[in-house]
Amino acid sequence: MRLRAFQIENFRSIVDTGMQTISPDNITCLIGQNESGKTSILEALAVFSSGVICEDVLRSDLSLPRVTCSFEIPENYLENKLRSVNDDFDKIVKSLNHITLIRSWKADLESQIGIGGELLEYIEKLDKDRSKELIDIKEKIKKFYSELNKKRGKKKSLTAELVDIKEKLDEHPARRSGLKLFRKRTAEVQDDNENTLSELNEAFEKARSEIDKINAFLIDKDSLIRLTEDWLETVGELDGINKKLDEISVRLEERHQTMTLLSGPTIADLSRGEWEKVLTQYKSAVKEKEELEKEHDMKILLCSFIYAGLDEEKARLKLQTIVNDRKLEYQAKELGEILLADCPHFEIFEDFGSLLPNRIDMEDLVSDNQNVEGYKAARNFLTLADLDYTFFQQPSSRILKQKIENLNAKLTLDFQDFWQQYVGKHNKIRINFELDHYSTNHGEKAGKPYLEFWVKDEGERLYPKQRSRGVRWFLSFYLELMAASRMERKQLILLVDEPGVSLHARAQEDVLKVFEDIKDDVQVIYTTHSPHLVDINKLHRVLAVQRDDVASHRSATVILDAARLGDASPDTLSPLQSIMGNPVGNQEFSVDKYNIIVNNVGTFYIMNAAMRLTGYKGRIHFIPSTDSSSIPLMCNILMGWGMKFAVLLFHNENEIEIARQLEKMMFTDQPGENENIIIMPEEFMNAEDLLSTLDFKNLILKTRQGITISNSEHVNINDLPRNFLLSKFLGDVKKGEITRDDLDEESKENLILLVNILQKFK
Amino acid sequence: MNNERKDFDSFIFAQAMDEHLSSLRYASMIQRSLMPDTSFLSGILKDHFIFYLPKDYVSGDFYYAYQNSGYTIIAAGDCTGHGVPGALLSILGISFLNEILQIRDVPRANRILNIMREKVMGALDQRGQDYEQKDSIDIALCVYEPYRSVIQYAGANRPLIMVSDGELKEIRPDKMPIGIAPLEEVSFTNHRIEVKEGDRFYIFSDGYTDQFSEETNKKFKIKNFRELITYVSGWNMDRQKAHIESIFYDWKGSTVQVDDVLVMGFEI
Repeated sequence: MRLRAFQIENFRSIVDTGMQTISPDNITCLIGQNESGKTSILEALAVFSSGVICEDVLRSDLSLPRVTCSFEIPENYLENKLRSVNDDFDKIVKSLNHITLIRSWKADLESQIGIGGELLEYIEKLDKDRSKELIDIKEKIKKFYSELNKKRGKKKSLTAELVDIKEKLDEHPARRSGLKLFRKRTAEVQDDNENTLSELNEAFEKARSEIDKINAFLIDKDSLIRLTEDWLETVGELDGINKKLDEISVRLEERHQTMTLLSGPTIADLSRGEWEKVLTQYKSAVKEKEELEKEHDMKILLCSFIYAGLDEEKARLKLQTIVNDRKLEYQAKELGEILLADCPHFEIFEDFGSLLPNRIDMEDLVSDNQNVEGYKAARNFLTLADLDYTFFQQPSSRILKQKIENLNAKLTLDFQDFWQQYVGKHNKIRINFELDHYSTNHGEKAGKPYLEFWVKDEGERLYPKQRSRGVRWFLSFYLELMAASRMERKQLILLVDEPGVSLHARAQEDVLKVFEDIKDDVQVIYTTHSPHLVDINKLHRVLAVQRDDVASHRSATVILDAARLGDASPDTLSPLQSIMGNPVGNQEFSVDKYNIIVNNVGTFYIMNAAMRLTGYKGRIHFIPSTDSSSIPLMCNILMGWGMKFAVLLFHNENEIEIARQLEKMMFTDQPGENENIIIMPEEFMNAEDLLSTLDFKNLILKTRQGITISNSEHVNINDLPRNFLLSKFLGDVKKGEITRDDLDEESKENLILLVNILQKFK
Repeated sequence: MNNERKDFDSFIFAQAMDEHLSSLRYASMIQRSLMPDTSFLSGILKDHFIFYLPKDYVSGDFYYAYQNSGYTIIAAGDCTGHGVPGALLSILGISFLNEILQIRDVPRANRILNIMREKVMGALDQRGQDYEQKDSIDIALCVYEPYRSVIQYAGANRPLIMVSDGELKEIRPDKMPIGIAPLEEVSFTNHRIEVKEGDRFYIFSDGYTDQFSEETNKKFKIKNFRELITYVSGWNMDRQKAHIESIFYDWKGSTVQVDDVLVMGFEI
């Protein structure tokens, strides 16, 4: 598997990087100023694997981090790894050539890994559809329950009414026989009494009938009512657990605030034991909530089946079928955990964490004693040498010594492929190891074997610790990376922060060579300020990291890929500017003047000399490119910055081709019509051709040799140090040692031609 | 026996001499073929004459002409030495001029000489070191631009004499050769001269002016040469040539010709 993209959210200065694609050739370089967030990116990627963070990484709003990584997968990987679920799921699995995993953290800073991307979308859609369905069902059930309560209420009132009517009936005069002997009732009164009685009887019957109906309803819907009430109870429990979680989350937040020193302690600081208790409560509350939610969904489903007309037994059978079916389905978390096992592992390279020791006992190596100093480096060394402990069990010490000697030669040659520097003029470094045994002076260790390591040159044999910091760093780096690329373990993504800060420029280029060598086995992501660690021909590797408000350190980190480097600030791009031949400082791009890009530093010198010699004071500012092939990149960047610029090209094959590329880039329909691309006339193949041959010889070459070809051809054919010569020429012009009067008429005319061309840029 | 030997040696010597002279004659033919013939010159100039008198079979002096759609080049060169060495250098000069003039635009006279100098210095590997050969070419070169009625002139140690309306004017050359200069090389000067119909121009090597007189044993000198030109300039070119030639022979008499002689006159 191979990492193809990442996204980091809410991690230190990072709010949201967006999905960033890394270099397809496995080496990615992050450039940017200090405090831009480069190291944070590496740390975030490292915790994707480890899952362990501390409060320090939390942002001020205490939002929780999330790291998403997308990995390329081999063909048929998912089909072989996962079981078949249903047609839709299987279709998605078959179509995928990558997987996305998300590491997220909860309030207790525990992390979980889950699937992302298309598979998560599928799961979420499924959940969403089910939730929607459940919502509809809940509405219906709630409506039903509301109706039920109304009926119950009505039954209650009818029951009370019935009692009342019965009482009235019992008390009714028409029902009382003793009254006929003592009182003579009028006919009207007798009639009224009989009417009232009948009304009461009617009302009584009516009420009783309605109550019977309600009772019948209650009996008929008994299951539904019971299960609905059961569900409602679960809802209540869920509310309760949510409230509990909210309370605990508040305490967690307060704790995070205290730990990140963003505010003063608002509560009395908890003891460790008390804090553990809070965390345990949080974890168990989360777990309880998860279970309750499942229970809740099952209960509402059951209610829905009965609501639809099924009897309870059949409804339960149907629910069980659904439960069984859903057991086959993957949850996001489950998928994440399964797939993470096969994903590459992020590891941060610890600068001096694995230095080669001077000496290590064989016993420590054999027993994997990781606590002993230099163990890791020694193991790396043996891995590179393709050795295990059986090698040292060779009975013949002569043969063993010969084998070690041969191995040392090979190891040294391999190392020297990468470490190009010399000690002094001629001495190259050699790394050696030897097997020896402790003498009798060493008490308990007497006679026991140990390995001794040396870093030799022709002059001296020194222990690793006696070597320079740069050599020690590079050796540690070389051993770690080469061993990592050889080990048959989970694939590695190496994160290296500012490699080789203590290395000479040449050695920094050697670091790049190591990256190139291992990139097929180990992906590398590194940060740097150094132009020597950026390959100008491979800018697809570069991600520029800066704050979205470069003036403010409170602003969030943003990442710009190679296509958007033009949006980066000049300071962020300073390593690139150095490589492109435009060092930061007084050669910065100008916002006030027209920036005229020229093919290289030598031309830059001549142009500046020409401006001085002609006395031209136009609003132009020359910018040297490293060579003509870097010109399109510079144009890209200047276009992105919205700066005024033009390109001055000479009449040679390379620059004519560059002109064609630029015309396409600047979207000109008509070739040759882009006014910002100047191609000098045919007789000027390079800047030095602006001078007559005589002036070139007298003022620059300081020679009297006959030159029968153009100045630029003469420089190329004779491999002259062009930049040096032209810089000296500029120096002489600046000092006033060469003036306009020293030029012949041909040179003067050519310079006037140049000035006329440049005059249109104002 | 000795006489026979002597005769035999004389015979061999004479034969070798014959062969040598024969090859020199042939070389002379080759050299002359590299220079423009009369019909070509008549085609590009209104009128002209060439008084060309090598000291030996082959000459260190040469004359050159070239025409393009916009301009005409006329030049008279004098290479160091005479005879074979001078001739070889003259071949170099002619071929360099042919190379340089493969351009469409009207060239500058001084730039032609600048480039020619680079070529000669490059060919002879001259770098200003003491041990080097200091061979060089002196030359007067004119570029006639008919559409502008202008003649450009640049000279390396050889002047241009112009006669216009009967008045003689000498345009002085730069005092440096086509080759390594005594001190340092600087650009040749380009002179632009407005011309009109009837103007006459004369370029020449120093062979005429350096010739010793039989009578006085003095050189002819440039002063006399100017007077001679003033005297003949009103005549037609053929008559001018005849007179100039006659004066030379009269002056020289039976003395040895000291150098190759070349005088070229032309009318535009």
